[in-house]
Parts: sequence; structure tokens; C-alpha cells
Amino acid sequence: MKVVTPYRTHMKIVGEILTTARDNAPDETGASVTYLIRKANISHVRISKILGTLVSQGLLEQVDSKSACKYKISQSGREFLVAYHTFSRFADNFGLTI
Amino acid sequence: MVFLLENILNLIGFAVGLVIGIMSYIGFKNTGSPTLFRLAIAFFSISVGFFVIWSGYMVDDFILKTGQIQRWVQTLGIAIQTVGYFFIAFSHTIKSFFPKSRYFRSVGYVPLFLVSFISIEHIIRSISFILLVYGAIETVVSYIEGRKKGTLFVAFGLALLALGEFLAWYSFVFPETILYPASIVVKIAGLLLLFVPVSKVPLTKIKFDKFEE
Repeated sequence: MKVVTPYRTHMKIVGEILTTARDNAPDETGASVTYLIRKANISHVRISKILGTLVSQGLLEQVDSKSACKYKISQSGREFLVAYHTFSRFADNFGLTI
Repeated sequence: MVFLLENILNLIGFAVGLVIGIMSYIGFKNTGSPTLFRLAIAFFSISVGFFVIWSGYMVDDFILKTGQIQRWVQTLGIAIQTVGYFFIAFSHTIKSFFPKSRYFRSVGYVPLFLVSFISIEHIIRSISFILLVYGAIETVVSYIEGRKKGTLFVAFGLALLALGEFLAWYSFVFPETILYPASIVVKIAGLLLLFVPVSKVPLTKIKFDKFEE
């Protein structure tokens, strides 16, 4: 039987980017755009827009490193992630994706 | 007996709808998810619908004393609940964009056989039934994909509500039989099943600053 993978919602992509920035950042200076693109499996054009939004909303912090711009999750970002995971499970119960 | 069961059903429906509606709204305020916003509208509508019918019974019991709820109040309450069922079904439709599978087409034909032209209430009940069946089937499909026990509870809850709605509609054909009290009991069971997984969602770690603003 052919299994079709459903499209990820915008909210799910945001959740994956923040989770990557929180759990999988390679060092304490944060995660580079390339690293986030690879881990969250998303195009450069799309991630640039999303990162811009997340930084402007205070969920991610932009850290200027020597070589490239890096991103660290902020305290609000951590709180958002807790809410995201909780309500993701809540919506799962109704067979829905947030 | 029916009066007591109706009151229990409407109060449980009001409470369950309100709690799930509030949780969905808190979720929407915390995450900005449109899915949770639609769920909030759905369950607030269901809650208000049950409350309207309960109020109708109370007004009749204490003021009018006719022994029967005003028809238009019951129809209004059921119509408001149907709006809620519509939003649950609508959320699934958006999720699947447009289902191509055969079952959707077969479910789509069912209203032709179910819609009665005798009264608006019959029509609304049959629409509710279709929406609930659709919601239940979509939730079962989600359960097959995700295998989460909570999803199964909600699917059975929606299915029992659909069965209850069908029995209530069918009791017009056989009034004064056990069909109507049975429909109420089935609906109460459905509402309780809907509440089971929701009651297990831990909200203790969530900050409600944004919600309180």
C-alpha cells in the first residue's frame, strides 16, 4: 500500500525549527541557517522568512558569529515550544494537526 | 424520566463543550494555530446549543408549565450545535484538503435519503448526523495513521453522538417509545468519551499571560 506523507503545516515547521534550535544546536553559540535547513528539511527561501518572523517575535535570538549568523532559542521560544507540544497532543486527540 | 435525562444530557453537553472550548481557545492564544481556533468555535457552539435547550426546559418547567419544551427553542439549540459539528467536520476537510476516497462520495449522498421535509428540526438533525459521521470517520482515519489512544476515544465519542442524533431523528417515526431516551443515553456516553482524552492534557506548564491580557 502506498503511504502518502501529508504536508507539514506552517506551525509544524516552526515547531521543528525551534525544537532543532533548542535540542540539536551544535554548540552554545547557536545553530547556523545551513544546520537548521538540514535538520528541519526546508528550503533556504522559506526558512529565511520564517527565521525573520521568529526573531521579530522574540522566539529566536540572532547571534552574530565570526563566520555566519547563528540562531539561539530564547526563553519565550522555550515557553512557546512547551505550549506547542501540549496543544499538538491536544489536537492529535481530535485527529487534527495544529 | 425523559425530562431528567434531557437535563443531564444538556448540562453535561454544556460543561464538556465549555471545557474543551476554553482549552482550545487557550491553545489558540498560546500558539496562534487556526486549527485550535476552529476547535474553539466548534465546542463553544456545541456548549451554547446545549445550554439553550437546557434553558428551554427550565423556562418551561418553572414559568410556562406546558410539559413540553418550546419547539423553536429546541430547534435553535440543535441548530447552534450543528454549527459546532460543522466546524469539527470543516477542520478535517481542510486537513485532507479534498478527500478523493470513495467513502466521502457515499457519505455525501446520504442526506438525500435522510432529509425530511416535515420540519426544520428534522433537517437540522440529519445535517448534524452527516457532519458527526464525517467527523468520526476522519478521526478514525487519523487514528489509523497515528495509533494514538486518545484519538480513538474522540472517534467513538463522535460516533456515539452521531448514533444518538440518528436515534433522536428516528424517534419522530416511533414517538413515545424507548428510542428517544436511548438516544439521550447514547449522547451522554458520547460526550463523556469526548472528554476522556482532553482531561489528560497537562496544562500545568503552560503560561497563561497572553490569555489573561
